[in-house]
Amino acid sequence: MKVKSLSQIFVFILFVICLTPCFGRASIMMFDEKLRVKGSLYEFMIYRTSLKEEERQYRDTELGLMRSKATLELLYKTVETEKLDINLFGFFQYWHDSVPDIDDEYRQSIDDPKKYQGPFFDEDDWINELYADIYAGKWNIRLGKQIVVWSEVAMVRTIDQVNSLDLRYTNPGIDPWDEMKLGLWMMRGFYNSNLPGQLVFEWIWVPGDFEQIRTPTEGTSMAGGLVSPPYGETGERPRAFGMKGIADEVMNDARPAFNIRNSQFGFRIRGNSEVFMLNDYYLLDWTVSWWHGMRSTPVVKTDEVASLNTLMGTHALSRLFPGSTSTPQIPDRRMMEYKFYDAIGFSCQSYIPPAKGVLRGEFSYEIGMPINTTSKNGNTYFTGNSERDQMNAGITFDRPVLVPWLQDRGWDVLDCSVGWNSQYKFGDVNRRWETYGFEDRTQSNFTLLIKSRFYHSEFRPVMSFFYNTRNWGYGAFVLAWLPTGHMRYSLGFMWTYAGDPTDSAVASSENGDFLFFKIGYEF
Amino acid sequence: MKIVTVGMACLTLLLTAGSVKVCSGEVAFPTYSYEGEALQKVRQWEKQWVGKKISVENLDQVKDYVHEGISMAIKNPKNLGAESLWFTVAPYRPYTISKGVVAATKKYAPESKLDEDEMLTGYGKVAGYPFPQPKSGIEMAWNFAGNSRGDSHRNFTYGPVVNCKTKNERQAGMHRSELFWIGRTELAPLPSIDLKDNPRGIARSWFQRHTAPVDFVDTTILELQYLDHKRQEDLWVYTVMFRRIRRYSASQRTDSIDGTDMIYDDQDGWYTHVNKNTYSYKGRGEFLVARHQDAKQLQRIKGQGFWDGIQRERVNHWVVEVKSRDKNYIYSKQIWYLDPENWQMNFKVMYNRQGQLWKMYEMFYDEYPMPNGDKTSLASGEHVFDFIRSHGTCDIRELKEVGKPIRPDFFQTKSLKQKSY
Repeated sequence: MKVKSLSQIFVFILFVICLTPCFGRASIMMFDEKLRVKGSLYEFMIYRTSLKEEERQYRDTELGLMRSKATLELLYKTVETEKLDINLFGFFQYWHDSVPDIDDEYRQSIDDPKKYQGPFFDEDDWINELYADIYAGKWNIRLGKQIVVWSEVAMVRTIDQVNSLDLRYTNPGIDPWDEMKLGLWMMRGFYNSNLPGQLVFEWIWVPGDFEQIRTPTEGTSMAGGLVSPPYGETGERPRAFGMKGIADEVMNDARPAFNIRNSQFGFRIRGNSEVFMLNDYYLLDWTVSWWHGMRSTPVVKTDEVASLNTLMGTHALSRLFPGSTSTPQIPDRRMMEYKFYDAIGFSCQSYIPPAKGVLRGEFSYEIGMPINTTSKNGNTYFTGNSERDQMNAGITFDRPVLVPWLQDRGWDVLDCSVGWNSQYKFGDVNRRWETYGFEDRTQSNFTLLIKSRFYHSEFRPVMSFFYNTRNWGYGAFVLAWLPTGHMRYSLGFMWTYAGDPTDSAVASSENGDFLFFKIGYEF
Repeated sequence: MKIVTVGMACLTLLLTAGSVKVCSGEVAFPTYSYEGEALQKVRQWEKQWVGKKISVENLDQVKDYVHEGISMAIKNPKNLGAESLWFTVAPYRPYTISKGVVAATKKYAPESKLDEDEMLTGYGKVAGYPFPQPKSGIEMAWNFAGNSRGDSHRNFTYGPVVNCKTKNERQAGMHRSELFWIGRTELAPLPSIDLKDNPRGIARSWFQRHTAPVDFVDTTILELQYLDHKRQEDLWVYTVMFRRIRRYSASQRTDSIDGTDMIYDDQDGWYTHVNKNTYSYKGRGEFLVARHQDAKQLQRIKGQGFWDGIQRERVNHWVVEVKSRDKNYIYSKQIWYLDPENWQMNFKVMYNRQGQLWKMYEMFYDEYPMPNGDKTSLASGEHVFDFIRSHGTCDIRELKEVGKPIRPDFFQTKSLKQKSY
């Protein structure tokens, strides 16, 4: 009831805002311009266009998401002197997905709707970022909860591994990574040197805070109907709580406590160097990085292999019996653990004069990536855990395409970006337990992103495509309209494609096509 | 009114007498818009018009000095979201040319010449206006490029981007810093920063931090323009939403700057190398323009994409037709109206590929004191309007400082992410 009331309040506020004339400046300045206040109210709605019957039995409506989100951003200039600046920055958020309120079947498909519907996974989920930013000469220290971006290329993550992702409400291809990242409490420092190459040294210490990856909650639209293995002939549907639900519970139980022994570290050097070759100047923006962190997915503990397999097997069997309503009894101990790995990364971007475009590249070598192992034929859930090295590379080439006919009609250039990224796994790949791509040594993706703006940037079309060489992918088409400085409207369509829907968890969401609408107010 | 006119005449005489007019060989500098008999005629005309408000009712009486674009705007105010448009007539006031500009022009102009690529010989090692008595469009363009605007300045530019049909507005705002690394007349080292301290051969640089619109807050942009005219400018943008520093391609310079009616090349009239265009001199043109604009006098109603309250004075411009060497360029041609005293661009008109009058960009200037006791002229406001799409961009430029040193290492990519949230 309480949750319902909150969602109603959100919808009402948005309704009032939509009817309000929009005047004024971009952000609000207070206390002699010492405090800057920014914020937004957004409603993001997904309408599923190709629900399959297996999933439809868990839905009363086609609504996939009705997420109301409010953000508040505060920047307070505490100290402003010639030698010392101290700013306090806070980014707070609250959200609520109303679909479980509207759709009873949907709500009953989710094991813990309250945890899913709002910022209740962790106690501090409402704080996206909160830190003190201290500038003294060439030094800059940031203390508090932060989000770090260490990548150059779009649509794929290669070296950008500091923050884990929350994929429960967001869609790669539509939402920026920032929207999905989970802040970590950390100390981050920069030293802006005057050394050749304009070197900036950056280091990160995360003293014990940890966030696991939050994959879509079972039963929700984002999980692609995972509640529903094809069921027998009785016509009775299996109960909602399925295999992903139990895996999520076990992974959640495995989370390490806030402990300094779980510290994660990072170090990066950023530089800017000029090279003259082939009669042209190439100005390179480059980085070299090292990250020592916990993998955001756990591995089974060696002494819990049998217990975990038994738990998973028992639960799988229980779902085969019609009328079974019992939920699995998960032992009150950690059956999995999160383990450390190291990643060495390199990135570079440069304008390439002969090609009239910008080339961006990233490379990372991951050392000792913790993995689960399974039997060679994949019949067993887990056989234990191990470590493997793996290598990731990503390249994008951005080249604006000028179409005079469009430009005459008020369009900017078409900003086109083609990309490729690939992962190479070292060692025995036949015994790696994988959600998808089992026994594959390499995984490759191709991306295409085309965006532009027209009518004085009031309209912003974006098209993005993603194709995995295992023959699945998606395309997203978005048209945003920004009529004023405050209101934002977006209408789009996400088309998903899977050559073999049984191939992987991701590919099984081939029926995941949806229309979406986003309306927002920013101040 | 008489008192104002007499006062302005006295001021003009004082300024004209006070300015050091240099005649060194063939170089006569400063060169004023009006002198002698021409000035007397202007003063006669001003007796009738100074202080008067010009609107559609009396526009035809001053039509000889109002550009066709302004006339179109005033006669069709609804196209610009207004019920009516007006400006006032101000007396002509010659600019005070700084001692640094006079000295540099006197020193370098006698040796100025262009090579076969129409590059200024010694570019990067000279300053001032290379051709005080120009004979061709390209020489006028090089004079325009010789205006270093006090060598450095910081300002805060803000104003609405207006859809005049729907009257919807979006605010744009930015703090901007600019530094001339060469062609310096006010700030040591003169005339340029030594190449050993400028190994990349930067000619000028600008950095800006946006304060509006909301999704652009804290977005920062850095551009470096190089001595080598064949080298493309380097442009970086740090977008807060994506938290990434992105390199931009040169072809994106013809994109509108965040939905305004300006493209990157339009800034300050023309913000890239002189050699990208061809120029032909079209004669002199007397027009009413704002050279001593008090920004507080600028006013407009919501949905209006054109400033009212512009204080226009008569100036005898150099008129130059400009065509890009790039056949696919967004403008088929531009007409520049250059001030004869400091070679700033008072306004320009732009034509689309079909040859239609598309946009007009007017800059309103004022004179500002520099720490060295001299003055320089910088824009205090501007507007750009799109005749075809009924769209306008109106800005106020609040000057923070001019002619004060800015550390060259501020113009590095590491500055882009600092204090961005």
